[in-house]
Amino acid sequence: MKDTSTNLLHDLIAALRGTRNLAYPFDMSRLLRSVRLVLKPLATVFRGALKCLFPLAAVSAFPAAYADSASHGSWDGVAYAYLGNTAPCMDSVLNPGNQIARLVEHSQTAEARFNLKAEHDQLRLALRPIVLWQQDRNTLGRQTRHEAYLSQGEAQWRMTEAWNLAAGRELLTWGPGQFRSPANPFFFDNGRSNPLRELSGLDVVKLSWTPDTRRTLSVARIASTGHFAGNVDTWRDTWLLKADRRGDAWAGGLALAKKGGQGMFVGAHLQYTLNDALLLYGELGSSTRLDALQSPPDPAQPFSIAPESGRRANELLGVTYTFMNGQSLAGEYLHHGHGFTTGERGAYFTRTASAVLPAGAATLGMALGTAPPLLGRDYLHVVWQNNPLENEGYWRLMWTHNLGDGGDELSGYGEYTLSGRTSAFALAVLPRGGVRQEFSALFSRMVTLGLKVALP
Amino acid sequence: MKTLLKMILLMLWSAASIAAPDAQSIVQRADRARGGALPGIVWEIQLNSREGDRVAEPQRLEVRAVNDASVAEVLEPARSKGSKLLQVERNMWLTRPGLSKPIPISPRQRMSGQASNGDIAATNYALDYEAKLTGEENLDGEQCYVLDLTARHKRTTYDHIRYWVSVPREVAVKAEFYSLSGKLLKTARFEYGNTIQYEGRRIPFVSKMTIKDALMDAETTMAFGAVKVEMIPPSEFDLGQVQ
Repeated sequence: MKDTSTNLLHDLIAALRGTRNLAYPFDMSRLLRSVRLVLKPLATVFRGALKCLFPLAAVSAFPAAYADSASHGSWDGVAYAYLGNTAPCMDSVLNPGNQIARLVEHSQTAEARFNLKAEHDQLRLALRPIVLWQQDRNTLGRQTRHEAYLSQGEAQWRMTEAWNLAAGRELLTWGPGQFRSPANPFFFDNGRSNPLRELSGLDVVKLSWTPDTRRTLSVARIASTGHFAGNVDTWRDTWLLKADRRGDAWAGGLALAKKGGQGMFVGAHLQYTLNDALLLYGELGSSTRLDALQSPPDPAQPFSIAPESGRRANELLGVTYTFMNGQSLAGEYLHHGHGFTTGERGAYFTRTASAVLPAGAATLGMALGTAPPLLGRDYLHVVWQNNPLENEGYWRLMWTHNLGDGGDELSGYGEYTLSGRTSAFALAVLPRGGVRQEFSALFSRMVTLGLKVALP
Repeated sequence: MKTLLKMILLMLWSAASIAAPDAQSIVQRADRARGGALPGIVWEIQLNSREGDRVAEPQRLEVRAVNDASVAEVLEPARSKGSKLLQVERNMWLTRPGLSKPIPISPRQRMSGQASNGDIAATNYALDYEAKLTGEENLDGEQCYVLDLTARHKRTTYDHIRYWVSVPREVAVKAEFYSLSGKLLKTARFEYGNTIQYEGRRIPFVSKMTIKDALMDAETTMAFGAVKVEMIPPSEFDLGQVQ
């Protein structure tokens, strides 16, 4: 029990180092695992760096692009430098005095993300190594971490016009949902937990059949969760079957994922272009959760962890309208079947509020580390953004409302072009509500400011 | 006497039928010079646009297109390199390196300036529009067929097009694009400085398209280069395999 609690706490701490709300266990483990590198011996970091040595050497050795009769190659990248500031809620009932999650209050990050591509006849290679340096600080201390890893990297062999075989680290994301992606078993949160942190792929071997532009059938074997795989490799030895169909004005897909010892994941997504301006879409998924926190409505009863939860469905419906000036307004409704009912959520906060440190640390760790990906069941998400193809800059405003507890989160991202290579960006997240409401349970403000420069 | 008259009328009608060019064939031949009716085509576009006195940063794209699908990849400016606009039928997505997943977008979303996806991709007006020949006109000293094109389905970028096709060269030289309500949206002029080799023939190919907005003082120029006719495998247009 003690070990479990310790692990949960470690996971928790790492998960919350970013800018996220209550964490989804899978994402939590991914983020937490990234931070775990800091705590591990330097050898781990060097091993990560070695993994990138080859691609980085290739970057420096190759011109930005080359081409002869049978081969093509190119590389480019983006260097980032940004400062982050987060204001943890010191009166949080989940993270009192920031003692549990140890949220980073100030951070400085330098990061370089590269793209390397090479093609020879029917073979293609694409690598995306990332090198990161980050210094984190809060009232409890300061730490510096280094990471070098392959975020994505895949070799593709076009066996025939219709058959493709791919192996490597691939980002298996799909579906039109922006707030969350119920149709996807691997990346439910869509990277929303930490918008500045790039999602890293899973290690897969994938066989695809694409007889024409309208149909694709893929079968994949996931060998590992990838860079962020930890002691519990969440997606190791998972089979994925994915079918996609594209019609005149619609596109849809079906995904089945099966891992031994866990119920099958069934997901589906569909989008329909109603007219020039209006896009309708939806996603749904049915799944079970492993190590799922149970919060009985009676606060007198303790938390428990079910080895596997019952099967639940998550559904998302969305609509996007694009204005003549290229700006678009999107609205999404998510029903999250794995979330708590009103009674369960109330008991969840009551129980955590009564956990007194240090004895209550295990309870709080469990409450954070194994909670559902979203605490509530029903959400509204609205996005207003300018044309993402616009050259002069990009902005995006988001409002999320938890229909269960009435809490809100406002966030905005803006990018301003300074030159052909350079742009400045800013991200702000402002939760609104009390300490017993999901969005405002952990922090009251988060701001990031930075610069990015295109390479070479 | 009546029989003779009928025969003369029949001969005159037949002669007229033979002489009158078929509107759909005119459009089909013009399409080939803009990437349509080919097994697949790859080209680069240099895109320059201006709105009033404000000149936008130039963009360079590589476009790979087949009849019902296209993928346009940004090559310049450097900070947008690798961004891709994928279109399959009327479905469109935007993706870029590092993005957590592709974003579905509506056809109204445009590239820089006045260029829509329909302008940068291969043109297949013969498939997408019902053509009607309305007459001939002399345009800048060149005799042209004038055609009215009406959208066959909702997938088209424009509802109605007035199209000028050169009689001697069989290429489109001018187009006026209209909304469903009949409002003129923009006007385009075409130049054909490129040549492609297809089925043993050399075909003139579009080298420049200049689009003027009819509603405001704005102009976009697209220069087409590095044109290649080649088979493009369908997987290039599958969202799950776009690298």
